[in-house]
Amino acid sequence: MITLSPEPAAPGRPTLPESPAPILEARDLTKRYELGRTTVDALRGVSLSLRRGELLAIMGPSGSGKSTLLQLLGGLDRPTSGEVILEGEAISRLSDEDATRLRRDRTGFVFQFFNLIPLLDVAENVGLPFTIAGRDPRKGELRDRVRDAIALVDLTGKERHRPDQLSAGEQQRVAIARALVTRPAILLADEPTGNLDYATGTEILEALWRSCVERGQTVVLVTHDAKAAAYADRVCVVRDGRILDEIPLGRRLDHAAGPLIARLAQLGL
Amino acid sequence: MPGLASLAWRTVRARPVRAALTAIGIALGVAVLFAGLLTNAGIERSIDRTVDALVGRADVRVSAFRDQGLSPTAVASVRAIPGVVVAAPVIERRTFLAPAVPGSREPGLPAAVTVVGIDPTIDPQIRDLALRAGSALAGSGARFALISDSLARDDGLGVGDELELDGSADARAGDLRFVVGGILAGDGPSTDPDGRTVVIPIERAVAAFGPIGVSHLDLRLGDGLTADAASVEIGRQLTNEPYVIATPGSLAASLRASTTEFQATTALVASVALFAGAFLIFNTLAMTVSERIREVGLLRAAGATRRQVVAVVLAAAAFLGLAGSLAGLGVGTLLATAMATRIADLGGLRPADVPSSPDAAVLAVVAGLAVTLAAAAEPALRASAISPVDALRPQVASRASTASRLRWLVAVFVVVGVAGLLLRPTSGGGDVLLRGAGGYLALLVLALAVPWLLVPLGILVGVPFRFVLRAEERLARGALSRDRGRAALTVGALAVGLATLVALGGLAGDARGSASDWITSVVPGDMLATSVTPRPLDDGTVADLAAAPGVARVTPIAGFDVAFDGIRADAAAVVGADLRADGRLTFLAGDRTAALTALDAGGAVLVPRSLAERLGLRVGDPMHFPVGGEQAVDLRVSGIVARSLPGTAGEAILVGWKDATTGFGVTGADAFAVRFRSTATDADRSAFDDRVRSIGLQPATLASVEAAVGDALGRVFGLFDGLAALAVIIGGLGIANTLSMDVLERVRELGVLRAAGMTRRQVWRMVVVEAGLLGLVGAILGIGGGLAAGTVMRAIGSTGGGSAVIPWPSIGLAVVLGLGVSVLAAAYPAWLAGRQSIVRAVRAD
Repeated sequence: MITLSPEPAAPGRPTLPESPAPILEARDLTKRYELGRTTVDALRGVSLSLRRGELLAIMGPSGSGKSTLLQLLGGLDRPTSGEVILEGEAISRLSDEDATRLRRDRTGFVFQFFNLIPLLDVAENVGLPFTIAGRDPRKGELRDRVRDAIALVDLTGKERHRPDQLSAGEQQRVAIARALVTRPAILLADEPTGNLDYATGTEILEALWRSCVERGQTVVLVTHDAKAAAYADRVCVVRDGRILDEIPLGRRLDHAAGPLIARLAQLGL
Repeated sequence: MPGLASLAWRTVRARPVRAALTAIGIALGVAVLFAGLLTNAGIERSIDRTVDALVGRADVRVSAFRDQGLSPTAVASVRAIPGVVVAAPVIERRTFLAPAVPGSREPGLPAAVTVVGIDPTIDPQIRDLALRAGSALAGSGARFALISDSLARDDGLGVGDELELDGSADARAGDLRFVVGGILAGDGPSTDPDGRTVVIPIERAVAAFGPIGVSHLDLRLGDGLTADAASVEIGRQLTNEPYVIATPGSLAASLRASTTEFQATTALVASVALFAGAFLIFNTLAMTVSERIREVGLLRAAGATRRQVVAVVLAAAAFLGLAGSLAGLGVGTLLATAMATRIADLGGLRPADVPSSPDAAVLAVVAGLAVTLAAAAEPALRASAISPVDALRPQVASRASTASRLRWLVAVFVVVGVAGLLLRPTSGGGDVLLRGAGGYLALLVLALAVPWLLVPLGILVGVPFRFVLRAEERLARGALSRDRGRAALTVGALAVGLATLVALGGLAGDARGSASDWITSVVPGDMLATSVTPRPLDDGTVADLAAAPGVARVTPIAGFDVAFDGIRADAAAVVGADLRADGRLTFLAGDRTAALTALDAGGAVLVPRSLAERLGLRVGDPMHFPVGGEQAVDLRVSGIVARSLPGTAGEAILVGWKDATTGFGVTGADAFAVRFRSTATDADRSAFDDRVRSIGLQPATLASVEAAVGDALGRVFGLFDGLAALAVIIGGLGIANTLSMDVLERVRELGVLRAAGMTRRQVWRMVVVEAGLLGLVGAILGIGGGLAAGTVMRAIGSTGGGSAVIPWPSIGLAVVLGLGVSVLAAAYPAWLAGRQSIVRAVRAD
């Protein structure tokens, strides 16, 4: 494994909280798809672990298996073999019902496209997980949580806006607020900046980073963009269904992508 | 262009479920139209067959006005008219048929038949009596009878069996017994309501019923004599006996008039079914255009002209329209068979079979295609207006504006209306047609109002769901406003179907209520005892019945025809004193006591409002009734009543018995209204029934008459309800289509919801709740529209009398059907939504 030295700690600089046990573990995950007569091995024995409050980026070329890995980590799909352990509980063999509950209560997702329900306003979209759970997000503590999540992504004042009244970056920030509102154990973001210009993408990455720094949120970010991955504490490089490398970056304020790009170049990516 | 046709075909094939649902919708619409056309053709054939059986090749039929018929002198004088080639006499009598085997029929209920006496030597020159078995009547004296197919089937009679008629008291037993010599292929030369006809030689009819005159004289005219000229000459010859002249054309017209209402209502329902089908086609093609907008953009970018784009969309519509229309022919044939059976069950005209009619098939397919193409025109034009630049942008949507949808709706309404006109009544019925058009117009207004009412009503009907399925209701309700135009069309199709059900329910309720009010307001009794032959007033029947325990009053009634102002009218002989004592009849003009007293004294007549309005009659006006040749009865209108006794083709003019017997030649009563005392016991009533039967009368309580009328109306309206239900099913197909499209369009959204923790069951429920909201909104609009359409139709149809009835059963049915059909229609889309894979749904590409 090739590693980079993390930046040394400095006074006032955010640090990754120490955690004795990993919050999420993947153990020897494989995923095989049958496409007619062809078999595709999307993942071939992937293992990794995340500490609470860590921002992990998964990088790799198209078709490398990074999105598949994210889906298995978040309980959206089941591995062909191997296990995913979230907060000490194996989630890779849950029933559909339990997996749904897991997604609702303990994980949050942000996708590249179509994250919002167009007919709901910002507050309703953010409160959607509560609504789905049969709770009223306009009342009591839930209302405060919705308000806080909206504030975290700097959208206070736009609660009543519909998605089509927001910019692409604002829409994606609403999606982040919705993913965070349930205070999930882990937030999984699949190419959240893939459809955005540089400035807007930066807004999103800042929001994700802030959630880690200010709230100790654990985040897994799938991206093919080294500049986005540079926000992470650690980068896993995936190729051909395997982890090719893990690159520790440490928690940095400048998010400089230079060292990472150089490392990736060494890897031929 | 062949390449583009192939593209159109592939467009249809790309969404097989949607294409199938749309084709089924078209098929059902065309099926109702085709069934209506076939039924109309069957009715026409039945009319032709009935007229042919009645008068055969006769050019003119002279019918006696009086029960005693035309005298031999009158017959001879008509025969002597130069130019009359054949004059075939017919005696027609209603009587009972005694059971061939004692005890073989229900005791005390003799079966009525119509006996037709013909001259076997002359009659074959007028009509051909087709036989199913046996042989024709050989000679005048033989005691052989031909019986109709229905009678043979009902009573299990065959060739060689004996039957016995109930004849005159003077007839010898032998004169009343006949051997069945043949079985007619149809109902025979009579209009017996049950098709129970017995044909015997005219001499044997005279022997059985006494010295009676000829009921009809059927004439064949030579080349030099027209029917009009013959009428004039007959008027000169028959100066002493009243008669009525009819031609085959006038008989057919009179029979057709009785089917006018049926044909007009069938036309309305068929139009509604096609209208609902048009909604489905529009929605499907609009969805296809939205879905394939990039493809259309590419075509345009590659050099396809706007006209070619229009051609592709219209060709896709034509595929669906043709497939649906052809399938509709098959379904329509089955539907027509069911309708023919139902009509035959109702009596009267009996379309025994469904004719094969290539013309009707071509008309139905052309109408189906025309409606399809009209419905496809707007999406086709919209597709052609797509700019290649706009189409290839990342965010693109092509939705019709509300205004263009409304314009489309009006255009389709006109095309469907024209298609519905194919089923319009063939003769007369201007009012009926206007009523149908009024109802149809009300449905258009309803359809136009749907886009504005959809969202507020969606919020309203969502309230109950909100308490139990909060998340599902919120998301489902929002879906109504996602593409308001599409949702409006979907709801509109369902609403017009349900509105038709409610409107028909209202009309049926009105008809029932009005019939019930009519009967109780004019009949001076609790029951009616009817006779198949007139009972002279002095034969002791009235006294005999009045003497029974518990009986307060017995009123004789006789129905007969009169001629007034050149038209035939119904009349009834009544006892004014009884009507006064019993408090019957509602007087709109004239003094009640004076008018009813004048009726018994003679010289007075009571006129129902419907006739008074039509003829412009007022109290005090004279009425001149010719009764043959130069003779006439002159009466004066002494009162105008709201409703009168029912006649064969409307309400009857009421005259006193004095004028009826002396002026119009009425020989006896054919019904007796019996009023029981309030103290009469059930035993009294039961004993009275037995007494009535023992003297050859048929008892019927007013309640049973009302029930029979209600039952008959229920059967007719049940038939229309069945057809309207097809329109509701088409609406349901629209919902299935729209929801499926919604699900496919929202795959990513569903993926996000699932990723956010929504269970499959919640997704399934969300789609079902969405369908439920659509169904309930459709039901509310359908109920409102149906009540409005019913009110419009009631206002146009000047039926008079009776108050509007709120059709609660139909309203309940509309709610159940609206909700049931919608939720059922949601089954597939909900399943589709529930099984969406999250991984696939949220995939970026």
